Amino acid sequence: MKRFALAGNPNCGKTTLFNSLTGSTAHVGNWPGVTVDKRDGVYKKCAEPVAIVDLPGIYSLSPYTPEEVIARNYILDEKPDCVINIVDATNLERNLYLTTQLLEMDVPIVIALNMMDAVERQGDKIDGKELERRLGVPVVKISALKETGLQELMDKAFNESNKTRRGSTVLKDTKLGHLIGDVKIALAGQNVDNPLFHAIKLVEGDEIEVAMHKETVNMVEEFKATFNDDIFGTDFEALVADGRYKYISKYFAPVLTRKSKEKFQTTRSDKADKVLTNRWAGIPIFLVILFLIFHLTFSENFLFVSTFADWAGRPLPTLEDLGLVAEGEPINYGVRWLATIYDGAIFSPGVIVNNIWNDMLVGELFGWIGGLVEGSGMAPWAVGLINNGIIEGLGAVLSFLPPILTLFLFFSILEDSGYMARIAFILDRMFRRFGLSGRSFLPMIMGFGCSVPAMINTRTLADEKERTATVRVIPFFSCGAKLPILTAVAGAIIVQFAKGNGNADLITYAMYLLGIVVAIVSVLLMRSTTLKGETPPFIMELPAYHAPQFKNLMAHLWDKTKHFVKKAFTIILASTIVIWVLTHFAFDWTFLQDEAINDSILAGLCKLLQPLFTPLGFGSQLGAYGWVFVLAAVAGLIAKENVISTFATLGACIIAVLDVGSLGGITAEAIATDDTGISSVIAMIAATGITVPGLISFIAFNMTTIPCFAAVGTAKSELGNKKRFNWTLVFWLVASYLVGAIVYTIGSWWWTLFIWLAVIGAVTTLIVLYNKGKIKLKPLKKMSKRS
Amino acid sequence: MLFCLGLGVGEIILIVACVAIVVGVIVGVIVRKLKGKCACCDECSEGCPHCKKNAK
Repeated sequence: MKRFALAGNPNCGKTTLFNSLTGSTAHVGNWPGVTVDKRDGVYKKCAEPVAIVDLPGIYSLSPYTPEEVIARNYILDEKPDCVINIVDATNLERNLYLTTQLLEMDVPIVIALNMMDAVERQGDKIDGKELERRLGVPVVKISALKETGLQELMDKAFNESNKTRRGSTVLKDTKLGHLIGDVKIALAGQNVDNPLFHAIKLVEGDEIEVAMHKETVNMVEEFKATFNDDIFGTDFEALVADGRYKYISKYFAPVLTRKSKEKFQTTRSDKADKVLTNRWAGIPIFLVILFLIFHLTFSENFLFVSTFADWAGRPLPTLEDLGLVAEGEPINYGVRWLATIYDGAIFSPGVIVNNIWNDMLVGELFGWIGGLVEGSGMAPWAVGLINNGIIEGLGAVLSFLPPILTLFLFFSILEDSGYMARIAFILDRMFRRFGLSGRSFLPMIMGFGCSVPAMINTRTLADEKERTATVRVIPFFSCGAKLPILTAVAGAIIVQFAKGNGNADLITYAMYLLGIVVAIVSVLLMRSTTLKGETPPFIMELPAYHAPQFKNLMAHLWDKTKHFVKKAFTIILASTIVIWVLTHFAFDWTFLQDEAINDSILAGLCKLLQPLFTPLGFGSQLGAYGWVFVLAAVAGLIAKENVISTFATLGACIIAVLDVGSLGGITAEAIATDDTGISSVIAMIAATGITVPGLISFIAFNMTTIPCFAAVGTAKSELGNKKRFNWTLVFWLVASYLVGAIVYTIGSWWWTLFIWLAVIGAVTTLIVLYNKGKIKLKPLKKMSKRS
Repeated sequence: MLFCLGLGVGEIILIVACVAIVVGVIVGVIVRKLKGKCACCDECSEGCPHCKKNAK
C-alpha cells in the first residue's frame, strides 16, 4: 500500500485533513502542537487504498522538540511515496519556509493550499497555477474543514507518487550555492540518500547532521573558515534562513493578491486580542470565563436570579409553594419535567441536562431493573449484589456523565475557538516567574479532560526539566474522573452541613482553583530545588479565532463518552463486584449481611490503614463506617471513578441500618426516590461523623495524589527515566498527604494557619539562601568519613 | 456443585457473570501487557504513542 505523509506547520489543518480523508476522529484543536506523534489512517477513494500518515506540526526541518524529530525522521527514514505539504494559505510566506526545505528532499511532493475558504472570505486571491510553476510541484487549493478540493489533491498525490523526483533548492543562486553543490557531490559519492537536503543541513551546522556525517564535516568547516558575510558573519544557520526568506518574498509571495493594499490589516482576531490578551485584564477575564463555565455546569441558581429575587423581597416560589408537589413527589409527569428546570430557582444548563439524565432516564432505568431484581425471587445476597453492588456502583458513576460532558464541551469550545492558545500567552508572564513557560500551560489545561493525553502532549516542551515538572503537576488539574468526587462531596457539604444553603458550583470552582494553586506552588518548589534550570523562551503563533466546529465538538464529546462508558463497564464494574464481595465476607469466609460489613475483610484491612489518614481528617477519628474513606481513596488509585462507585455501593448497604432521621439534611424520602444512590452516599458520609474540613481534605487528597493506573503508566513512559519516575510517585504521595493535612488542620483549628505559614516561610527562606550560596549542604560521604 | 449449595439458576448465572467480568478484566490487562500495549492505550482515540499500536 502506498504511504502519503501529511507535513506542515503547526495548526495549519493537518489533522483536520487527516480526519476528512480517513474518517477518523483524531483530536483537533485550534492551537499549535495538538498532534505530538504520527498516526495512521487509510484513504480509500484513490485508484487503490492509500495509507495516510499525519505528522506533528513543524516550522522547519531543523528540529528542537521531540515531536519535530518524529516528523523529520519519518520523512527521511520511512521514505513515504508522497509528501502532502499542507500550507496555511492565510499565512503563505511563513508556511512556504518549510516547503523550501521539503523541496530539497528526493521525494514526490504535492502542495495543499489549505484554508482557501478563509482567504476568499478576506477577499484575497492566490494564483495557484503561477505558484505551481514557480515551485515546480503540483499545487491544489483545498479547505480541509469544508472538505473541498480533497479528491483533486489525492488524485494529484497519487499521480506524483508514481514518479521519481530529485530535490531542488532555492539557495542555489545564493553565496552558499557553490559550497552546497560541493557537499552534495561529496555526499552523493558516499551513496547518502537525499544528498542535497543533508548537504544544506551540514552547511547550516545542524547538530544531528554533524553527528551523522563526521567524514564530510571537515570539508565543510574548512570552507566556512574562509567565509564571512557582511551582515551575518559566520552564522550559517541565519544565512540559510535569510536566503530562503529572500527567495520566498521575491518569487513566491507575489502570487498572493491582497484586497487591501495595506500590508498589515487589523483583523477581528486582533481586535478581540486587544481585550482578551490585555496585560491587566487578560487573567481576570480568564478567571471570569472559568467561573462562568462552572456556573453554567453546576449551578442550581442560574445567573443568581433567585438571589436577586430574594434581595428584591420577592422570592421565587418553589414547586411545593405552587402546589405542584405533594408528599415530596411531583403531582404529574409534566411537573417532573418542570422540576428538572426549575424549583424555586432556575437551574443552569448543565444541571438541567443532569436532572433529565438522572431523574428521567438513568434513574428510571436503574429503578426499573432494581424492581425486577427484587421481585425475581432470588436470594437476598444476590439481590444485594445486583442492586447495592452493581447497580448503585455503576449508577453513581454513570450519573456523573452529564456534568463531565458539559464541562468538557465548554473546554472544547475554548480550545476550538483559539482562546486556549491566548490563555497560554497571557499566563506566560506569570508562569515564567515560577520557572515554566506559557507553553507548558496547554498540556496542563488538557489535564482538565484527562491526564493521559495531557502528559503525552508535554512532548512539545523542549526542556527536559520543564517537561518533568509539567508531567508531575498535570494530575493537580482535576480530570473528568475526579469530577464525581468533587460534585458528590460538595453536595454532601451543602445538604448535610450547610442545610441546603450554598452553591455547589462555588465549591467545585474553589477546588479546581486549589488544584491550580498546588500545581503552581509545586512547580515553584521543583524549579528552585531539584529541577533547576533556565526557563526556555516561549514563542507560539496565536491562531485566528474561529467559531467552534460542531463536528469537532461532537467528536470530542463522543470520545469522552465512549471512554467513560467503557471504563464504567470494565474496570469500575469489576472493582465494584470485588469490593461488594470483600465487604460481605469475614476473614473466616463466612457471609455477612449488610448490617455486619464493619466486620468484613475490607473493613479490617482499611481499619489497619486508618491511623495513617488521621492527620488528614478521615482516619481513626471517624465513627463506625469511617474506613470507607480509606477504601475509597485506595480504590481511587486504580481509577478515580472508583471513589464514587465505592461510596455508592457501601452507602446502599449501610443505609438500611442507618437512622436517617438523625442525619439532618438528608431525608428518608430523598433516599427512597433517588435511584442514582447519591442521597445514600450523602447519608453515609454524615453517618461517619466526618467534619467539613475532613471532607475538603478528602477531596484535596484525591485531587493531588497518584491519579490512576493509566496515568501512572503514561508518566513512566513519558519520563523515560526510572529514577525520575519513582521520585514522581513519591512526589504525588507526599504532595497529596501534605495538602490534605494542611487543609484539614487549618479548617479545624484556624490558628494552625500561622504554624503552616511559618513552616512554609522557613522552607522558602532556606531554599532562597541555598540558591544564593549563603548556606551549603555538606555531602553525606564526607561527613561519614570525618565521623 | 453450586446446585448442591442450594443456589438457584439466577444465583448461579450471577456468580458466573461476576467471575467472568472480574477475570475478564484482569486477563484483559495481562493480555494487553503481553501484547506490548501499555496502560494508556485505551485512554484516548489518538492511538498509543508508546507501544505504537494505534487504537484506530
